[in-house]
Amino acid sequence: MIQPFTSDPLRWVAEDGLPIRELPDRFTPAVLRDLHREMVRAREFDKKLVTLLRQGRTTFYAQSSGMEATQVGLARSIRVGHDWVWPYYRDHALGLAMGVPLLDLISQCLGTNSDLCRGRQMPHHFAAQRQNFVSISSSIASQVPPAAGNAMAQKYLGVDEITVCTFGDGATSEGDWHAGMNMAGAAGAPCLFVCENNQWAISTNLRAQTASETIHIKAKAYGMPGYYVDGNDVVAVMEVVSHVAEGVRAGNGPALVECLTYRVGSHSNADADAEKNYRTREEVNAWLARDPITRVERLLDHLGEPVSAEERADLISAVHREVDEAVLRAEATGQPDWRIMFEDVYADTPVHLREQAAFLRNEQEGVGA
Amino acid sequence: MTATQPKPSTTTGAGETRILTLIQAINEAMAEELARDERVVVFGEDVGARGGVFLATAGLQERFGPRRVFDTPLSEASIVGAAVGMAVRGLRPIAEIQFADYMGPGFDQIISQAAKIRYRSGGQFTAPLVIRTPSGGGVKGGHHHSQSPESYFCHTPGLKVVMPSTPYDAKGLLKAAVRGGDPVIYFEPKRLYRAAKGEVPAQDYTVEIGQGAVRREGTDLTIIGYGGVMPDAEKAAQALAAEGVQAEVIDLRSLVPWDRDLVLTSVAKTGRAVLVSEAPRTANFMSEVAYTVQEELFDSLLAPVLQVAGFDTPYPYVQDKVYLPGPNRIAAACVRALNY
Ligand SMILES: Cc1ncc(C[n+]2csc(CCOP(=O)(O)OP(=O)(O)O)c2C)c(N)n1
Repeated sequence: MIQPFTSDPLRWVAEDGLPIRELPDRFTPAVLRDLHREMVRAREFDKKLVTLLRQGRTTFYAQSSGMEATQVGLARSIRVGHDWVWPYYRDHALGLAMGVPLLDLISQCLGTNSDLCRGRQMPHHFAAQRQNFVSISSSIASQVPPAAGNAMAQKYLGVDEITVCTFGDGATSEGDWHAGMNMAGAAGAPCLFVCENNQWAISTNLRAQTASETIHIKAKAYGMPGYYVDGNDVVAVMEVVSHVAEGVRAGNGPALVECLTYRVGSHSNADADAEKNYRTREEVNAWLARDPITRVERLLDHLGEPVSAEERADLISAVHREVDEAVLRAEATGQPDWRIMFEDVYADTPVHLREQAAFLRNEQEGVGA
Repeated sequence: MTATQPKPSTTTGAGETRILTLIQAINEAMAEELARDERVVVFGEDVGARGGVFLATAGLQERFGPRRVFDTPLSEASIVGAAVGMAVRGLRPIAEIQFADYMGPGFDQIISQAAKIRYRSGGQFTAPLVIRTPSGGGVKGGHHHSQSPESYFCHTPGLKVVMPSTPYDAKGLLKAAVRGGDPVIYFEPKRLYRAAKGEVPAQDYTVEIGQGAVRREGTDLTIIGYGGVMPDAEKAAQALAAEGVQAEVIDLRSLVPWDRDLVLTSVAKTGRAVLVSEAPRTANFMSEVAYTVQEELFDSLLAPVLQVAGFDTPYPYVQDKVYLPGPNRIAAACVRALNY
């Protein structure tokens, strides 16, 4: 049975790859391989994006290395394109695993004409309508009350969709977080809140963030169950999240799942020196030893279906090729010009914006307005 | 900078100066105020060990300890609200909001509590505090890391609003803000953090809130700006000088209260005013300046008061530089005023 409010994170697979609970039937080697492939893809995407940053082809990136089991596991536990997702800015592994085309992610990071968001947002702030993956906002926790409202609409409309809302541990300190949790609880809205607890909010550790023992117990205050999961165990994430998601879908009201994980990289490129400034090498190494990808590899070893070195290398080079191609294709579409500034501000462009656009056209193109 | 250095309102002893960047000056101001007054505390997201995301608070926790310089939970409402409570109880808080774009979650605390407690309590309770926050564009930050929200705060009685553009002013204004009796919103033009360098006295001094500064003297028109646009305003004036036009350049430094006398005296002399701000044009604080100039100087104006502002769009990522009023756009407005 999957119980809320456990004192330890729920786990299925130990760090050495041995199941500590019976491995559910659905985790066949083929399924585990798919999960492994998706996690490696996210990891390599991170590496490639850091390279693009160094080359000055993009200006911001927030890695998710170390958090792949949480994000891929979540993607595989919901009905993609049916359920709705209000993500946060570190969720590209979630987006990739939900089938957001890599070209779309890269285009957004580069701000090219192929960017669905039209070069207006900071890099790494996607939106993907086909996946119901709602536009990412930088403002921490500002997605939480809208996610509650999205779920309230689903209840009102009588559809069997649910809303997934993700955030980091730091977000749980914002007033918006509490407001959204409370609203969803009071409304009995089908909202699944997922805390990707990677233990650091830039340089602020969870212990300085809150005096609460864990994040998931905060669910109690809002009248919903809170689940605690080993976020580096993809089997555990999928088992718990799919169970909880179906409960939310069945009309049981909202729930919170806390996935305990770790960001092994820096907070973003603006914070290259995490180890020097605020955390220790030892801590990072301890978490590197709990790597979620290695854990799946060890599990597959144990099942007698190891991922061969060659298979792994092929996988990695395929991702690198995929990213390189996407970068070239995106860059070939060029950069949006000044016009994109004035479109999509309103449904209809009011006269003062038309005048300002005419002014800029005149300035940029030297033609009469 | 070609600035005519503004006269400091108080300077204890003459003498030694050093060249600092804007952010170094801010850091020094906090260090000196922490050393001077036990009641001063500095806090916000990541200001402690990390020293702030832009390193404005670098070294302060090391020097003054975590009791006086500390990280808070990620909540602007908590940061501002706690600053109000601390100030009411006798401390002198300097709170950092990591980006001006994130004033939003703290907005209610600023406008409902900080701005009004003196008035609503008949002066029995006051909240002298400083909220420092990096603002403005030009750093490829997209709309959540580039906004200029100063006008929201100028519209709220009870708050003082300042935005320095030189290291000298940054230090002097921050010290004045810490020592004053009111809540001060202290905007830091982030694109000048390291770009603006200038002389800063080694001795203690303050720059009085409410005083503008003449950066360049001229007779043909007056360019008025504040914050991040100032270097571009000066570049525009230089370009005009090459064409034989002498523009006077004024840095407001303080928006609430703003230096009406300085502006009106200058525009009365030149007869033309071009107002520069990178905030969106509609309900921009400069509209207030324009209104005042026409009300007071209607008869002596030789041309309409012109505004060069940001566009009424969210701040874009790709067209980051085009959004900003650069030297060319400022100079073009000046030419328009001259040719009127
Ligand atoms: C309202 C708001 N305040 C401050 C910031 C600056 N900021 C960006 S990320 C971050 C830390 C977020 O930590 P967490 O929620 O734990 O997510 P993580 O980055 O660790 O995945 C902060 C303070 C912001 N983006 N929004």
